[in-house]
Amino acid sequence: MTSAPLGYLATDGAAASPVTALAWGLIGVSLAVILIVGLLVVWASLRRRGAPSQKETDDNLVGRPASGLAWIYGGLAISVPVLLISTVWSLVVLAQVMKPSASPGLTIEVNAHQWWWEARYDSPDPWRIFTTANEIHIPVGVPVRIKLASSDVIHSFWAPKLAGKMDVIPGLANATWIEANHPGRYRGQCGEYCGLQHARMAFYVVAESPAAFAAWRAHELEPPDAHPSPVAARGAEVFAARCAACHTIRGAEGGGLVGPDLSHLAERETLAGAMIPNDRSHLDAWIRDPQGVKPGALMPAVRLTQADRGGLVAYLESLK
Amino acid sequence: MKSSGRAPFLALSVFAALLAACHKTPAPNQGLAVPSGHVQGWTGATANFAPNGPAGEWPSQARDYANTRYSPLTQITPANVARLRTAWSFSDGAQYGHEGAPIVVGDTMYLVTPFPNIAYALDLTKPGAPIKWSFSPNPSPIAIGKACCDAVLRGWAVADGKLIYNLLDDHTVAVDIKTGKQVWRTKMDNPENGTTMTMAATVFGDKVYVGNSGGELGTRGWLAALDVATGKELWRAYGSGPDTDVKIGPDFKPYYDWMKGKDLGAASWPSDMWKHGGASSWGWVSFDPQLNLIYYGTSNPSPRVPAQRPGLNLWTAAMFARDATTGMAKWAFQFTPHDQWDYDGVNENILIDIPFQGRMHKALVQFNRNGFAYTIDRQTGQVLVAQPFGNLNWATGVDMKTGQPIVNPAMQPKPGIKLVNACPTDLGVKDWQPAAFSPRTGLLYAPTLNVCMDLTDHVQSYIAGTPYDGMEMTRHPGPGGNWGAFIAWDPVHGRKVWSIPENFMLFSGALATASDLVFYGTVDGWFRAVDARTGKVLWSQKLGSGIISQPITYTGPDGRQYVAVYSGVGGATSVESKQAGFPAHGNTLYVFSIDGAGPGAAAGMLATVTAAGKAGG
Amino acid sequence: MRARDLRVGLATAALFALAACGQPAGRRAAPAAVGMTANRLPVGDLAGDVQSPALLSVQNPFAGQPDAIAQGKVLFVKMNCAGCHGYDLAGNMGPNLADRYWRYGGTPGAVYQSIARGRPQGMPSWGRALPPADIWRLVAYIQSYGGMTPAAQYQAGEQGDLAGAPPSAPGEAKGVGTGQAAGKSRMQSDAAQSAAP
Repeated sequence: MTSAPLGYLATDGAAASPVTALAWGLIGVSLAVILIVGLLVVWASLRRRGAPSQKETDDNLVGRPASGLAWIYGGLAISVPVLLISTVWSLVVLAQVMKPSASPGLTIEVNAHQWWWEARYDSPDPWRIFTTANEIHIPVGVPVRIKLASSDVIHSFWAPKLAGKMDVIPGLANATWIEANHPGRYRGQCGEYCGLQHARMAFYVVAESPAAFAAWRAHELEPPDAHPSPVAARGAEVFAARCAACHTIRGAEGGGLVGPDLSHLAERETLAGAMIPNDRSHLDAWIRDPQGVKPGALMPAVRLTQADRGGLVAYLESLK
Repeated sequence: MKSSGRAPFLALSVFAALLAACHKTPAPNQGLAVPSGHVQGWTGATANFAPNGPAGEWPSQARDYANTRYSPLTQITPANVARLRTAWSFSDGAQYGHEGAPIVVGDTMYLVTPFPNIAYALDLTKPGAPIKWSFSPNPSPIAIGKACCDAVLRGWAVADGKLIYNLLDDHTVAVDIKTGKQVWRTKMDNPENGTTMTMAATVFGDKVYVGNSGGELGTRGWLAALDVATGKELWRAYGSGPDTDVKIGPDFKPYYDWMKGKDLGAASWPSDMWKHGGASSWGWVSFDPQLNLIYYGTSNPSPRVPAQRPGLNLWTAAMFARDATTGMAKWAFQFTPHDQWDYDGVNENILIDIPFQGRMHKALVQFNRNGFAYTIDRQTGQVLVAQPFGNLNWATGVDMKTGQPIVNPAMQPKPGIKLVNACPTDLGVKDWQPAAFSPRTGLLYAPTLNVCMDLTDHVQSYIAGTPYDGMEMTRHPGPGGNWGAFIAWDPVHGRKVWSIPENFMLFSGALATASDLVFYGTVDGWFRAVDARTGKVLWSQKLGSGIISQPITYTGPDGRQYVAVYSGVGGATSVESKQAGFPAHGNTLYVFSIDGAGPGAAAGMLATVTAAGKAGG
Repeated sequence: MRARDLRVGLATAALFALAACGQPAGRRAAPAAVGMTANRLPVGDLAGDVQSPALLSVQNPFAGQPDAIAQGKVLFVKMNCAGCHGYDLAGNMGPNLADRYWRYGGTPGAVYQSIARGRPQGMPSWGRALPPADIWRLVAYIQSYGGMTPAAQYQAGEQGDLAGAPPSAPGEAKGVGTGQAAGKSRMQSDAAQSAAP
């Protein structure tokens, strides 16, 4: 799986597997057709035909139907059922992937921005509603409804191993659904050109066991560590003064909604629209010079002293 | 039109007869037992006028604990009210909107200006009511930029020899009424995070109750009780958050099941949004001395974009009944769950007793922002009557089983999409401007608004000290084209009795007197006296600026009855400022009497100082 | 992109360097600005700094650029400016930004300073929360409403000579803003702002 993270010919989920099966089925049918027809063409072109005998020619003046009709009947007899079956199969697959078989156990509102993904986890209990970004956790085996909205231009929500593309259109409320059969990190990518960094607008769907998902979800609601180290405490102040107008960290000072929610940032494996690994050097480089990492990104280069940036990085790393 | 041309005529007359029957004046109170000393008007509603002070005083913003704004004075009557003239006036130099009512205790009138909150004591015994002393508290100007609706002050209190009031910059101050010197000053909150204080500090017994403003800036609302003598904070009840913060304990018994539960002030919000949830207490506080309960309301939820905060958003747009001593909540009622239009619940709760379903109920009436006038049992929190008192289209009614409004789904705003002609606008059908009650008619007299809005919501970040708002609105008058209307309301049956439409909004309080007069002022500066029974306008006087304060009446040391009101437009009325005729700012107190008579009113008198230091002449 | 970064940096640096200099204008007795008298004790500029015309004649590197104006508009809403100054810039809790009256000066440099440093009576200081380029974009958005003082006319603006003129760009500037937003009358804004003793 990791060798082809966006490979859609090997999918894993009830929203995608029927389509993949159909795809392979049709490929099989197509290959069979090509093989059979190709063989026939080759045989026809290589078959030796002698000149017709006088008797046969005389007989043929009467107008007997050509013996080729049998081939037509035979071909129809094979292809019509196959095509009918393919049609029915396609329609069944369409119905299967249009909506989940069971009612969704989870609804996530995904809001696409240039060039990152915001995900709000809905719940009938309002206090369990929270927002995260770029790494969307889901429980295994549970159909998850994804409501799609865009803050700016048209994007497309595409997690190839889990579902097909669904466009995210500003002003329109679209929805799709995904379901993962096995735990794992499934990569997603924006599937509709949306500006300079369209190619770097990825996300991850992290499927985990229901117990692990519940634990993750409960953890997301918890505030950050109340006793950070002195360096991290300095970083918290830097964050409040320099970053909080655009970013939110639940439980800390900061309610900005311009950029991604950074609550529990240290739990994520990637940064910057799931493009770079979440480790100290990449985080430092991203803060120091976002344009160097992702030219055109809307995150500005905030001028920080070395010490301030070090504190900020330490603080963000402490957000487990 | 074939057979009988008579059939439609018959039908019409039957219909007309039915209509007439419906609109028959209601029977007077059915002879139910009335507590002695109470006067009952024809709706049967009455009130307790404790503390029952001297008839000629106006000792607090609402004159009494029940917030009736009713005066027993009768010198000025419908027969002579047309002779009211200015006896004297007083300009206090502050240019923001003037919303508070003067207080008259003994021979002195106490006034406090809007920012910079300078206090004045005027000597009513002398001609022209000269200034006895003034006190400048010098509040911080930072607060001006954090006040959503002008740098106003909605009132002040006199008790225990002190004038007590809130400063815009989140202090409460007490000034000795004899000397004009500060006795104590208590810091209550921090204006840098968007919190200000504009409400009238209110005293009951030995406590002064104060609350904050800032529902448009993501503040966390609270109501606190301070000790009148020292200013020390005794308790503080927040408007959102866990039960311990909201002072909800085992005695808390809301009438409706949907308000029962643990920590609903946090659980009805996403993650931790209750920390900047609004629910500030910037309105009025009333008090029932027999039940020892105070009644007050909370503001809208923050941000003002409902899509950002799914859930009921308790305890915003609601009211509390709290034990006046301990602050623990007895019951609560949320008028507008998950408010989507900025319908605060802070309007005054007028405590009246009404006949309802066969017995007298201790009740209260709130003319809510959302356009419904609620008559609520003040012991249990049950809604007895809930009827619209103005134009609204956001809901189709109130479900009497749950007390919840039946919201019109088409009127729910979604971010980025313009919602056209939502009524009422955020200011509501009535805002903070208080109504009055007359026991002689049993009616309430309310200054109302007829304003609608086109609304577009914008998702808002929380940045401390900046608006946490998101409502982009243009406002226009509702059906009829009048921006305001002054109404008389029957709280027992939930119906309007008469209505005076006004071109401009009404943002002044109402005053009712025992001679069946009701006073109110308009935003374009007309001060009117009307007949309490019929709504006929008996006297109008144009003042220097628009009137958004509260009229009072008192007896001067010379035994005359005076009516006083501030003129000085501002506050939230700027939404109408583009209308032709909208007045300029002002800061003058007008005091009226019959023929303008007052102490030493002879023209050209020279006040001389005798050897004893007293002015004579 | 590079050239524009350079201009932003230079403009901002000029603004802060000149602010830091703080030389009394009397020392610059060879005035470059028109109409400047050689007062030994000049009044401070409208925002209370030392009067330094060069300081406040800095140009906005983004002035008139449509995408900067559009980004400024987005910032104006997202940073909650619209909540105080109105979605049409006509003023509400904060002053009218579409008219000719500028309490702390209406040149691009003055408005930049107002945003970056904050002002008395509650205007927050954004200089640490927003990078200079974003503040210039906000200034460009406000400029598109036509009420600001052109940098070259700083002196006239300070001396009240421009107050009578209507906003210079009535109607739309590149489809953004309304220019002639009627809000509180200027007298009311004045009154509200000058009440503090």
